[in-house]
Amino acid sequence: MSESMSLKEQEKAAKRAEKARQKRVELDEKAERKRAEKAGFANVNNPRRSKLLTFVCALFAVYCLFPFVYLMINATKTQADFTSTFGMGFGRSFALWDNIVTVFTYQDGIFARWLLNTLLYVVIGAGGATLLSIMGGYALAKFRFPGRKLVFAIIIGAISVPGIALAVPQFLLFAKLGLTNTPWAMIIPSLVSTFGLYLMWIFSDQAVPDELLEAARVDGAGEMRTFFQISLPLLAPGIVTTALFTIVATWNNYFLPLIMLKDADWYPLTIGLNQWKDQASTAGGQAIQNLVITGSLITIIPLVIAFLCLQKYWQSGLAAGAVKE
Amino acid sequence: MSQSSATSSVGQGAALQSSSARVNRHRADWRGWKFMWPFAVVFVFVFIVPIVYAIYISFFQKKMIGGTVFVGLANYARLFGDTQFWSSVVRVALFTIVQVPIMLCLAALMALALDSMKLHGTKFFRISTFLPYAVPAVVSTMIWGFVYGAKYGLVGSLNDLLGTNIDVLAPSVLLASIGNIVTWEFTGYNMLIFYSSLSTIPHSLYEAASIDGASEWQIVKSIKLPELRGSLAITVIFSIIGSFQLFNEPSILQNMVPGNAITTYYTPNMYAYNLSFTGNQSNYAAALAIVMAVITMAIAYAVQLNSMKEQMK
Amino acid sequence: MRNVKKVIAATAAVATLVGLAACGSGSNGSSADTDTDNAKGEIVFWGWGNGIKETIAAFEKANPGITVKYNSTGTAADTATALQNAISAGKGAPDVVMLEDPTVTQFAVDGSLIDLSQFGADKYESDFAAGPWNKLQYGGKPYALPIDSGPEVFFYNKAIFDKAGVDGESIKTWDDYYEAAKKIHALGDNYYITNNSGDANAYQPFTAQAWQAGANPWKVDGENITINMTEDAGMQKYIDFQQKLIDEGLVNTNIANWSDDWNRSLNDGTTASLIIGGWMPTNLESGAPDQKGNWRVAPLPQWSEGDQVSAEDGGSALAIPEQSKNKAAAYKFLEFLTHGDGAQVMADNGTFPSLKKILNDSDFQSAENEYFGGQQVNKVLCEAANLPVTKFQYLPYNPYAQSQYGDAIAPAYQGKITLKEAMANYAKLLGDYGKQQGYNVTVK
Repeated sequence: MSESMSLKEQEKAAKRAEKARQKRVELDEKAERKRAEKAGFANVNNPRRSKLLTFVCALFAVYCLFPFVYLMINATKTQADFTSTFGMGFGRSFALWDNIVTVFTYQDGIFARWLLNTLLYVVIGAGGATLLSIMGGYALAKFRFPGRKLVFAIIIGAISVPGIALAVPQFLLFAKLGLTNTPWAMIIPSLVSTFGLYLMWIFSDQAVPDELLEAARVDGAGEMRTFFQISLPLLAPGIVTTALFTIVATWNNYFLPLIMLKDADWYPLTIGLNQWKDQASTAGGQAIQNLVITGSLITIIPLVIAFLCLQKYWQSGLAAGAVKE
Repeated sequence: MSQSSATSSVGQGAALQSSSARVNRHRADWRGWKFMWPFAVVFVFVFIVPIVYAIYISFFQKKMIGGTVFVGLANYARLFGDTQFWSSVVRVALFTIVQVPIMLCLAALMALALDSMKLHGTKFFRISTFLPYAVPAVVSTMIWGFVYGAKYGLVGSLNDLLGTNIDVLAPSVLLASIGNIVTWEFTGYNMLIFYSSLSTIPHSLYEAASIDGASEWQIVKSIKLPELRGSLAITVIFSIIGSFQLFNEPSILQNMVPGNAITTYYTPNMYAYNLSFTGNQSNYAAALAIVMAVITMAIAYAVQLNSMKEQMK
Repeated sequence: MRNVKKVIAATAAVATLVGLAACGSGSNGSSADTDTDNAKGEIVFWGWGNGIKETIAAFEKANPGITVKYNSTGTAADTATALQNAISAGKGAPDVVMLEDPTVTQFAVDGSLIDLSQFGADKYESDFAAGPWNKLQYGGKPYALPIDSGPEVFFYNKAIFDKAGVDGESIKTWDDYYEAAKKIHALGDNYYITNNSGDANAYQPFTAQAWQAGANPWKVDGENITINMTEDAGMQKYIDFQQKLIDEGLVNTNIANWSDDWNRSLNDGTTASLIIGGWMPTNLESGAPDQKGNWRVAPLPQWSEGDQVSAEDGGSALAIPEQSKNKAAAYKFLEFLTHGDGAQVMADNGTFPSLKKILNDSDFQSAENEYFGGQQVNKVLCEAANLPVTKFQYLPYNPYAQSQYGDAIAPAYQGKITLKEAMANYAKLLGDYGKQQGYNVTVK
């Protein structure tokens, strides 16, 4: 009995040593990779940079970026210039500043309200979605609970149902509960991110060693404490990545608020902009495409900044093995 | 871990289950629900209840004269004979077959190029490819709509310049033009997933390969491509589901395309939307949603199965 | 966190108000409370367009005790959809809703709107222009009051017409119009007298022009509907004329109404005229700013010389949903906007009125519009609004009919089939739908 115990312990110790070794190797490799990157080559074999490849990729970058250039150029035009001048050229006057001011003052400054609403939805909706994904993903990766095997199948099944057609039952359900036309109609559905759950599942599986959890349990720590004190810090890079995806999804959500919200005071930016766009196609309405374009630009900017700032984190989050297998 | 991850199969579900089956092998307990329940509760509320409700209402029909009556499977029967519905299914299927491979190939090529470290300014290319993902569909479709205009758009300016008469919004090429918008929006997103999985390849593998005298191409072929396959399954499934639910781009573009080339039943989702919201036929739309879900799941499953088989060779 | 609390507080406050309002009206028994004099509380209003905020401010000033919460619901179609959703859900409808005139019957049929004659609205018949008023009756009772109207008129770009050697003023009949169309297209391949791509947005002009031709494509009698899109004499007149324009390439079939291209072609003059509702001036001013001073408005061309027949294109009205918990206050607001002082405020903000009092007001009529080169635009529009109209019925499922128009009719404008064939397809589509909805439909 005691012999077997000690055997088991030895096994465990060996396993732990092996894990530590692997971790060291991994770190070395990472450092090596970084050095290689700094030196300008990844493959020992082929240290030279390719002008041709850079050129080809530059073409693709032009494709990716030129709509942004279009947006920026046209944000500087007045409505009159917008309808009458060449799309990729500047207008007769430079009205960027005027447009920005008008965007924020038009209709009693409702655009600022939409911006704040969007922020509210992102903070609570995307924040909550990230939290639920972390917990759910962790549960799927680290516990073998009844019903677990069904989860993947149910999720894939559920997201295959066209969201548009689900909209009616969803709307009726929310309406019966008195949730339509309130921020909750936007926030509650945003709390579910299936892709986020998937990311966190994979990530937890790899980033949190079972041994660590076992050790904590042996020490008598409760599941919640283990989760918050031990697992959460290990999950940090994955969390940033998941947050990024849920933020983008909430920020850009169009269809959900389109049917759930009828009160312009609760609109997010996407619906507000679309309503401004539609104004040109309403009898007796006024075309304000210059404001739509400038508003679009303002809508995109915070996300672009977030991308740039978080770049380091989401790179490492995904790179740590988040999305593979 | 490194070796096996580079070569192991795509069956994520299976792989995951076996790996975590190691944990708590002896105690099939309920502790996991402590963490799972918040997600599960919201998921049930937002997805499952409406789906069940959709199934329920799909057995009824609401008439302006006569109110709501139980009709059994009549909505489903009608759906199977509905040529508008099937034409929309064929259209998104065609869209999927063409657009998804192009987009994923572009994403994979870009990921390989970035990972090769042979580019000047890798960081710039990485962020510029990913940036379109930050643009809401409303905005990107609007911009591309302005670009596409054969008379007043950039295409029109190009036509004036070259004396040509290109119309990318003509019915014959319209689907491709929509494909371009979707490709623009989501290539970066898929590229990032591929790129991340490439960057998990341990450097030692490359070193070993180079000692063996492997060429750049051989490294790509025998190390990088197998690694990409791992993330391919998930990108394929999400892309298929996405294109079968095509809605935002064609419906926003509808008013910008001349000649009603985008009909009210252009995609199954648009059809469902029009049935529900202008046609007052939510019950029929619910039946449509259920059938579309079954088709989508079947295809996603078949594709995943296919790629699994390929892996096992 | 503070935000959340605010949200909860706000929601609670609204709930309380609604609850109080409900108690107030419930005390009067089952029939709607028609005591508008003592109405108070908060009402919710869904609508779109200019001048609403100003009008609400005027209303609240004149009626202390009633506050109006305005939700701009975007477009007419969005509003009808939102109302439909609220009706399906059994709650969430506003107290007053703006609807496009032809949509009103659809909601009146199933009892979703209330009959306004219980408030005495039927007395107002002679105060409103006949065109909009007639569209809002169901079973002989008014279910909405018109807030604006769209008498169909002829807008043309004088600069382009002059260049083509056409005198816009002299276009009196559709034959004159046809001759002018040829001359304008002769200016260059890009130039057209107008655009029509047969898409869903061309539905309203279609109904208006068919109406003017005396067509009766749809006859509705309770649960019986007769659809006659091709054999009806007026329809034939309309179809033949349109077919001639299509065959000779005299209309631009590549530009849809309300598209960005449309604005641009109006702005550069290549779309030289429009047959459209009287609310168009505001849209022209912002959509085609470069043509300031060039546009003019004239009466609708007639089918035979000397005729004086008008028709309605668009126009919207206010109605009270059955769900409203405060119908008395709702009616007070509705009446203020359509028949009371609010109507003037709306008109001052650019809405084209349907109230005869304002239409015939000399200040209103003599106002000169600079965008129209100083023309007294309202005078022309008012004359059109005061013309008698023949009886014209829309289908009780008008939004569906509009959404399907493009699918069925556009192929004719693309030259794939004839307009007559397209109309026959359209008739079948509408007939099938009517049958599904439980109507007795005869398609001729």
